[in-house]
Amino acid sequence: MVSFHPDAKFLTDFAAGNLPLSEAICVAAHLEFCSKCRSHVQQLSDLGAQLMARLEPQLAAADSDDRQAFEQLMQRIDAADTDTAVTSAATTISAGAARGSSANPLGLPRVVQKLAAGGLQDLKWAQFGKSLRIAPIRIGEKTRETAIYDIRAGGRMPEHEHRGEEITVLLKGSFSDADGKYVKGDFVVRHAGERHQPTATLDTDCICLVSLEQPVKPSSFWYRLLEPFVNYRLSGLSN
Amino acid sequence: MDNKDDMETAVSVHPGRSATPDPWAENVRRVAETRDRAAFQELYKHFTPMIRAFLLKSMGAGANRSEAEEITQEVLIKVWNKAASFNSSKASVNTWIFTIARNTRIDFIRRNERNDRKIDIEDIWHEPDSPEPLVDLQQRRAEQVIKQAIATLPDEQLQVLYKAFMEGKSHNEVAEELSLPLGTVKSRIRLALNKMQILIDR
Repeated sequence: MVSFHPDAKFLTDFAAGNLPLSEAICVAAHLEFCSKCRSHVQQLSDLGAQLMARLEPQLAAADSDDRQAFEQLMQRIDAADTDTAVTSAATTISAGAARGSSANPLGLPRVVQKLAAGGLQDLKWAQFGKSLRIAPIRIGEKTRETAIYDIRAGGRMPEHEHRGEEITVLLKGSFSDADGKYVKGDFVVRHAGERHQPTATLDTDCICLVSLEQPVKPSSFWYRLLEPFVNYRLSGLSN
Repeated sequence: MDNKDDMETAVSVHPGRSATPDPWAENVRRVAETRDRAAFQELYKHFTPMIRAFLLKSMGAGANRSEAEEITQEVLIKVWNKAASFNSSKASVNTWIFTIARNTRIDFIRRNERNDRKIDIEDIWHEPDSPEPLVDLQQRRAEQVIKQAIATLPDEQLQVLYKAFMEGKSHNEVAEELSLPLGTVKSRIRLALNKMQILIDR
């Protein structure tokens, strides 16, 4: 049972189309596990539609004839091949079928499948200690890093403090920390300054989608992404 | 014409649609099934000025009028092409067209950004795949509640919703523009959503 959800700010910014890509990917992944939030997003889209309907309608430039504009649009549509609708409907159906089939054995959300095209194993993983590996995913966003974390069953992540907001969406398995236990589909937000030490449960590996807000600081991509872990390992060595 | 009803039964198996009749659903169905140009022209006449108004506002200063016009045309082409995927039990035509316009706008904004991953906007902002009849029925009732409640919102609440949904501004941007603390923007939106019975409990 999913029990951690995006708040009203995330869902509103998402439905209004204003959420930056990395965060939007996390919300989209959560939505596939959570009918309640899907229904909220749908309501928020209804709200957007009602607001749109209340705008003062804008007519085309004064000199253009409505009927003529419509004919021009139909010419574009005809030129682009009227079979498109049939094709796209068929594609939608087959894509839907593929999602439910063995093509996606982990039941990954559509957006994660797309990000990890070819499967999770084909991502570029970096191993940290025995229990944790991280695959950064470049989506061209400057202020956040997006990554997939894989924590081995029973593995303990180093205790770390967040320098920026971190969103974690559980895709498989479960983990716990001092504040609670998190299961598949949960959307967990940690704010800057919060410390925690997540531990994967014993029976299965834990796979998470993570969006990490970056401190404004010029340093290399890898260093910034892995900094909390690198620090931990160094301090671990010195103990 | 006779097989229309069969098609409808196959697509929509619960009585939700009859509870909240949507005057435009029939037009979309005719476009989907018979590529009915007259039906599409009616949709065009009704929705184009609305879509254009939305895009002129939401595409921001980065877009000029001719870009907004081009995106408006793109939205209409998608309405024609995607008509078969419209599900009248899930959303009204109004909501469906808003989501297409919203996605096309996001796509426009991101079009010039470099992106290693082949990720489409519709991989993120997409329609749910599986039908959920019970939820859908509630959904259509909820839409009526929203429509009625929106008319009763105080101006300060309507203003923040308007900026978020129609001007494409995030909570942070709205707060900055109105010189309000982020918490105030959040609570105004929260109060408005509660009135519309969009009860997000976190």
